[in-house]
Amino acid sequence: MTTLLFIIFAGLAIGSAIAMVSQSNPLYSAISLIGVFISLASIYVTLAAPFIAAVQVIVYAGAIMVLVIFVIMLLNVEHSAPRRRRLKFLLPMSIGMAGILLAETAFILYSVQTAENRLPGNISNVGLTHSIGEGLFTSYLLPFEVTSILLLMAIVGAMSLARRTTILSSTARVVPGAQVLAMDIVNPRAVGDMRPVETETTHEAAHLLGVDFQSDRNQED
Amino acid sequence: MGPQLSWYLALSAILFTIGAVGVIVKRNVIAMFMCIELMLNAVNLSFVAFSSYFQDVTGQLFVFIVMTVAAAEAAVGLGIIITIFRNRETLDVDDASILKL
Repeated sequence: MTTLLFIIFAGLAIGSAIAMVSQSNPLYSAISLIGVFISLASIYVTLAAPFIAAVQVIVYAGAIMVLVIFVIMLLNVEHSAPRRRRLKFLLPMSIGMAGILLAETAFILYSVQTAENRLPGNISNVGLTHSIGEGLFTSYLLPFEVTSILLLMAIVGAMSLARRTTILSSTARVVPGAQVLAMDIVNPRAVGDMRPVETETTHEAAHLLGVDFQSDRNQED
Repeated sequence: MGPQLSWYLALSAILFTIGAVGVIVKRNVIAMFMCIELMLNAVNLSFVAFSSYFQDVTGQLFVFIVMTVAAAEAAVGLGIIITIFRNRETLDVDDASILKL
């Protein structure tokens, strides 16, 4: 029975993973990845780890993938332009690297066949929430607390990264009626063209660079 | 005869390889990000298999912490992706090969 379940869910996981890599649309890739996560959660249940299975579904398939799909739909990128020509030496190098990767995987598959096998009977209480909580709050308390600090850093970092910054940099001299240097304005459409341009007003400089300029930024500086 | 430890390790190795190939082959930042998540999950599978094999809860605690790190990585990584898209209006990694803005 467990063997049948393992074969079904392992096939589902591998099929979803291959579908994820072969899709060109990132949205379909994300949905295939959710299929991998659900299959792995089912395999965790057969491995007598119900807590990890539940966390897998809630955190991975629930939280992380919703975040990823949210970003995919927010950015809404259409299909990519035709591939540019790469460097020539990359092709033989990639073939060699693929050979090494295949050999490593084959070695793992071979060596686990010769190793000692047999899972013991799943009658223990190792995977239950009780034993996990006990381990987490006694012998592994320090990693647990370090993880909380890591999450706090991630929250602060994500907020400061994704915050919509002002068009003018912090060193821009924005005085009403005065000149502004175009060096101080970061224009997303003019990357690489950072020559200083002197204009009479800030609005004129913004119009010249093709960016929107809200005058309420003046009060912020 | 139920499934053996080697089956789970083999499945883990296959999933990890697929994820690694995806990171190398894909050019979309979000697709590469998802392939990294797949690799993390493959390693989690071998942790849980060893935990069940040795009847030791430590492997599952590792999985718990790996999941937390993956959540933090998702938050920061997607923030970086949004910033790259806002500055370059593309998600192709080849267009973001220069660290300068």
